Amino acid sequence: MKKHPMLKYLKEEGPMGDRLPMILCPGCGSGQVLNAAFHAIDKIIEEDGIAKENFVFITGVGCSARLTSHYLNFDSGWTIHGRTLPIATGALLANPELRIIVITGDGDTGAIGGNHFIHACRRNIDLTILCINNGLYGMTGGQVAPTTGIGLKTSTTPYGNTEESFDLSKMAETAGATYVARWTTAHPRQTVRAIMKGVRKKGTAFIEIMSQCPVHWKETPVDMLKALKKNSVRLKGDEAVPNGKIPIGEFCNIEKPEWIESYQKVIDQFN
Amino acid sequence: MPNNRHIQPGVHYLQGSQACVEGAIIAGCRVYGGYPITPASEVMEHAALRIPQIGGRFIQMEDEIASACILLGASWGGAKAMTATSSPGFSLMQETISYGIMSETPLVIVDVQRPGPGQGYITTSQEDVMQARWGHHGEGSIIALAPASVQEMFEFTIEAFNLSEKWRTPVLLMAEETVAHMRERLIVPPLEEIRIVNRKKPQDLGIAPENYLPWGHDMVAPMANWGEGYNVNLIGLVHLEDGNVTKYDLQMHDACVKRFYHKIEDNVDTISQIETAHFEKCKHLVVCYGSVSRTAIEAVTEARKEHNLEIGYLRLKTLWPFPEKKLRSLIKKVDTIFVPEMNLGMMKHPITEALRDRCRKIISIPSLGSLHTPEYILSVIHEELK
Ligand SMILES: Cc1ncc(C[n+]2csc(CCOP(=O)(O)OP(=O)(O)O)c2C)c(N)n1
Ligand code: SF4
Ligand SMILES: [Mg+2]
Repeated sequence: MKKHPMLKYLKEEGPMGDRLPMILCPGCGSGQVLNAAFHAIDKIIEEDGIAKENFVFITGVGCSARLTSHYLNFDSGWTIHGRTLPIATGALLANPELRIIVITGDGDTGAIGGNHFIHACRRNIDLTILCINNGLYGMTGGQVAPTTGIGLKTSTTPYGNTEESFDLSKMAETAGATYVARWTTAHPRQTVRAIMKGVRKKGTAFIEIMSQCPVHWKETPVDMLKALKKNSVRLKGDEAVPNGKIPIGEFCNIEKPEWIESYQKVIDQFN
Repeated sequence: MPNNRHIQPGVHYLQGSQACVEGAIIAGCRVYGGYPITPASEVMEHAALRIPQIGGRFIQMEDEIASACILLGASWGGAKAMTATSSPGFSLMQETISYGIMSETPLVIVDVQRPGPGQGYITTSQEDVMQARWGHHGEGSIIALAPASVQEMFEFTIEAFNLSEKWRTPVLLMAEETVAHMRERLIVPPLEEIRIVNRKKPQDLGIAPENYLPWGHDMVAPMANWGEGYNVNLIGLVHLEDGNVTKYDLQMHDACVKRFYHKIEDNVDTISQIETAHFEKCKHLVVCYGSVSRTAIEAVTEARKEHNLEIGYLRLKTLWPFPEKKLRSLIKKVDTIFVPEMNLGMMKHPITEALRDRCRKIISIPSLGSLHTPEYILSVIHEELK
């Protein structure tokens, strides 16, 4: 059987035995995001001549975070819930040659790691953040997240969600990220292109990918993908978001001083 | 301070906080992440000044959780890294310390202790000595040092880095406001006389990436940093030696946790350090640590000279791992043991566990928010032995 071209970036086997298959449920959107990330990095390795060993994947805790765990044939860190960004920042402080891809969930980024999220964007440090937004806490059993729509029932909102939700992309842009885009798992090619742009951006790139958790939303993956396609819109200018629609596209792509480069000027005074 | 270099050998007059940073730089610290808090901010301010001068990177983070996480990332990124905080911030770092123990990550955290609980106060304290050992969730041991002078703020910081690199584990420098704000003489030896330990590398041992076990090969595993082509999957879940997490069973769980527990606990005698004075054949004993030892030794000297008491002095330079066997081999039989501490008797617990059958009585000499005076220690000794 012919192998998937991206399988080279996974560890089928380690010194102490096999590591695949992945733990994710069939039909989960997270695997699609990892596939997109691999395609983007594959192209960047080829086109930009960046060594594979310079890439590091960092995740927190959640289904989205399980994408690293022990599967990747890259350096990676499956770290602490919500703490991906300071850990990634630390790694970059130690070695600015690293190209860090943070994969995180909507809970990881928007709830427990919310403070780190806005501050990482403010610093505009050279990270690429892929946020898999499935609108709830997948790993812990489908609880409400800061991204869950109002009125929706989850395992901790049995009578319907009474809270307003965050627009994570807007937050990233407002907080100072220099590349911000939102796509869905129904937009694989656009997602690959956005990740490539994000990695090439010198600064904080935030790419939100609306994704399906068929298990906790209790729908079929196919229906969910169709809905993601149908409900997403590309807005022009200041056009208002039509009711129930998700704005997608590139929201921000600007140039600003990046933290490591700015701090290098401080260091260089002493040489 | 000369730019772009280490502190020069010779005699200096420095604050404890500054001596700590100078020690860190000599030990090889090149990343510092922190968040301000009294009475630890002086460490951070000196790091902000000095770390870029030697080509390192300093960052002020949004909180202490983030500061501790900087160390985790920096360590796997290949740098020696440090933060300093005070007690409330130390509480916030516990989850990261726990992850550091599980993932066997070298990093150094300085806790300039202040009184608690809550915001407590901003004076001096030794109230985090139990949090140092037991504050993190889960099993696993920790190394914690207790400096008592500006000289030791310098030397113990270097030692903390050496221990963290040697044993691949988080190391805590349990300072107090007293010792961090104290200004006194620091003697810096010639740099070539200072011992620096660096982590073992798989490259140096001829271990190829495909055979590399990030948590194996030896009691202390060699460490490949990110960016070196070893495809390390850093992990905080119980794991096999190669980082595999799918083969879970109770035996794997047991082996994983006991590995990093025993690498510290079975080497207490190598790791821990004790100092004694007037110790041979003493009838009574003062056991102390940190800056309290400075007034304790005065009290002991006075009691021997003026009151003819056969009382000795023992200082724990290392608090954890607790040197129970070493204490039992040193102390065969005494009458009364006095334990002055800037808390209500925390280290008295492990001391009692180790020595309850080697003495008649163990007396705590507590103090909250201030250093014991020698007179206070003496008065308790007299009251007990009159
Ligand atoms: C400190 C801490 N609190 C809580 C948890 C439990 N926990 C694990 S994953 C998770 C939520 C993850 O949600 P999200 O980031 O949206 O990821 P998803 O599983 O949906 O991909 C929670 C609450 C934890 N591991 N650590
Ligand atoms: S619970 Fe949901 S998010 Fe988690 S793996 Fe399953 S489908 Fe994916
Ligand atoms: Mg989620």
